[in-house]
Amino acid sequence: MISLAGRTARRSPLLAIWYLFLFTMVAIGVYSGARVLIEGLRVTNLTDELPWGLWIVIDLSSIALGAGAFTLSAAVYVFGLKHYASIARAAVFVGLLGYTSAMLALFVDIGRPDRFYHPVLYWNPHSVLWEITIAVMFYTTVLVLEFTPIIVESTPLNRYSLARWLGHRLHQVMPVVALIGMGISMVHQSSLGATYGILTARPVWFSPTAPVLFILSAVAAGPALTLLVTMISGELMQKRMVPEDVLQGVARFVGFASLAYLYLKLWSWMSVNYYSHVPGHAASIRILNENTPYDFTFWWGEVLMGALVPAIIFLWPRLRRNRYMLMLGALMVVAGLVINRWNVTLSGLVVPLDWSPGVLDVFPINTYEPSLIEWGVAAGIVGYSWLGWTLGVRYLRLYPNVVRVVRRRAVTRPAVAEGGEQPATAR
Amino acid sequence: MSTRNTNNNAREQLLTRREFVMLLVGAGMSVALANILADPLNPLFQKILGGNIDRERYAAASTDKPRWGMVIDLSKCIGCEYCVYACQATNDVTDAMRWNVHIVDQTPTGDIFHMTRPCLHCNNAPCVSVCPVSATYSREDGLVVMDYDKCIGCRYCEVACPYGARSFNWEARGDEPNPRAPEWGTPEVPRRPRGVVEKCTFCIHRIDAGLAAGLIPGVDPAATPACVNICPVTARYFGDLNNPESEVSRIIASTATFRLREDLGTEPNVYYIPPEGLAI
Repeated sequence: MISLAGRTARRSPLLAIWYLFLFTMVAIGVYSGARVLIEGLRVTNLTDELPWGLWIVIDLSSIALGAGAFTLSAAVYVFGLKHYASIARAAVFVGLLGYTSAMLALFVDIGRPDRFYHPVLYWNPHSVLWEITIAVMFYTTVLVLEFTPIIVESTPLNRYSLARWLGHRLHQVMPVVALIGMGISMVHQSSLGATYGILTARPVWFSPTAPVLFILSAVAAGPALTLLVTMISGELMQKRMVPEDVLQGVARFVGFASLAYLYLKLWSWMSVNYYSHVPGHAASIRILNENTPYDFTFWWGEVLMGALVPAIIFLWPRLRRNRYMLMLGALMVVAGLVINRWNVTLSGLVVPLDWSPGVLDVFPINTYEPSLIEWGVAAGIVGYSWLGWTLGVRYLRLYPNVVRVVRRRAVTRPAVAEGGEQPATAR
Repeated sequence: MSTRNTNNNAREQLLTRREFVMLLVGAGMSVALANILADPLNPLFQKILGGNIDRERYAAASTDKPRWGMVIDLSKCIGCEYCVYACQATNDVTDAMRWNVHIVDQTPTGDIFHMTRPCLHCNNAPCVSVCPVSATYSREDGLVVMDYDKCIGCRYCEVACPYGARSFNWEARGDEPNPRAPEWGTPEVPRRPRGVVEKCTFCIHRIDAGLAAGLIPGVDPAATPACVNICPVTARYFGDLNNPESEVSRIIASTATFRLREDLGTEPNVYYIPPEGLAI
């Protein structure tokens, strides 16, 4: 395997092109975001009938994909699987990027970004969205706390005893922080599903399984993304980021989580769509199937490629040990999650409301295609998170047990041990 | 001139006595009618609007906890959209963001009917329970109102409302003229800023000011929503649902009415009288 980076990483033209690409995306995002803030949301293709679109999908996806942080932190600090500490830091960083991406998306999406702090001042404990906002705020704080020791030891801050002391202290209280983080995460990851699940007037959404499906899919896709970026970075930098058995363990976990998600998803579908014929729901599904590729994206995108095939890959040891299959499986879980969040958000809004007492279908089916500026903001947010990851993986100590690999000679030698920490080859 | 005076033929007279008397009567009636129309507090006008409300009995039956509601008679509505326009003028609403909407629907027997819808001011309003900043809230008197200074524009209320009764300010409004003023009324409330959601208020400013002035909402036009006052066929009634002597309470007690999407449990405070041929 010929590496893209390796020893000459800093001078690699491919890396320069990658940076150029990312900075272009961020620049497009900054321009588009500025247009939105100056001109208002009329530059979007959103309407009163379909008021949520691409940015809400990005918000939901980013938070779900950041769920690896609480899952793997919980594994290490709550369930005592110390082993996974080698990937937990990277998961926390992915989480931090995910949650900040979500905040960026929401900041652009709300009509009055200048009032973003209002949920703190004007409480409505009845509102799942209020609860989500507060939980996301607290959890982002938790992520920052969890991440501070990494920053301290990876940067010149480490020279200052106060910063070292702070980092050390935070490290000591980490089990408590992780426990709090897990609690907050469990609540708001499912509340995001409840955002849709509680709305009685939208038959496609109104469902008691929505919150559980959201948290199960997040618990599967969050670690999957952490796995994916870990492996891609390892390939490109010719390093073994985490011990092989940790990768295998995370993959197995994602496999089981995908199966659990699939199980509930299928029962949810069967009880509402197959074994019953509730008028509003049946009509909604018919409208979706006649006007959108919902049927195809649901079965092929969400169920088959997004959950079933990756579950097979991750739970079949022979497939799982092939690192390309592993990356493919993780990519499929991540893509399946994004497709699911798109489908959930749009399906409920495409089907028009039905409040007129007559027999005519008086309200037209709502259509939506993001405007160029919406795509621009989306590109900026994606660019931000990818740039963040690229910089983080290159300059921060995200992987305490990283080992440099020279594949051509099939020789493994320990990385330059930083701060006297022992290399992980012993594992 | 002199020829005209001398030729006193009846055919060439400017007015006959009969015509003169008719004109005089007509002018007098016009003045009287104009007087009534120009003064909404004229007792004759109140008679039309408030039905047979006996102010003394109403006052005796009224509590300190009113619940404002509306009755819309779909069997009377002719789809003229006067309510839509009067609302737009009074509350300064654009064509794209109408608080009152009119649509044409059909009964199972194939007859068309006209459907109009303000905000239904639900007792269990989904928009209120989802708002993350309490910018929309239910008042004690049943009104579901917006605090435009709190709203962050997340549009969850738009997503949650089963009746599509909310409009978002997608763009800033300049000082362009109101599309329905002055023909249909004069704006009585300020324009909303860009980035917030707005909705029908049942003309809350009239209700509050009217009550303070001792008026009865639904009886005295100055305290009654603009859409109710303007309706040329009296298809809309307004009043206190907690007062059995109010027009709306009496209609609901004596007539078959329904509310939109009862199955959702939102408990709207707007009742509809079905059009002919629509079984509810």
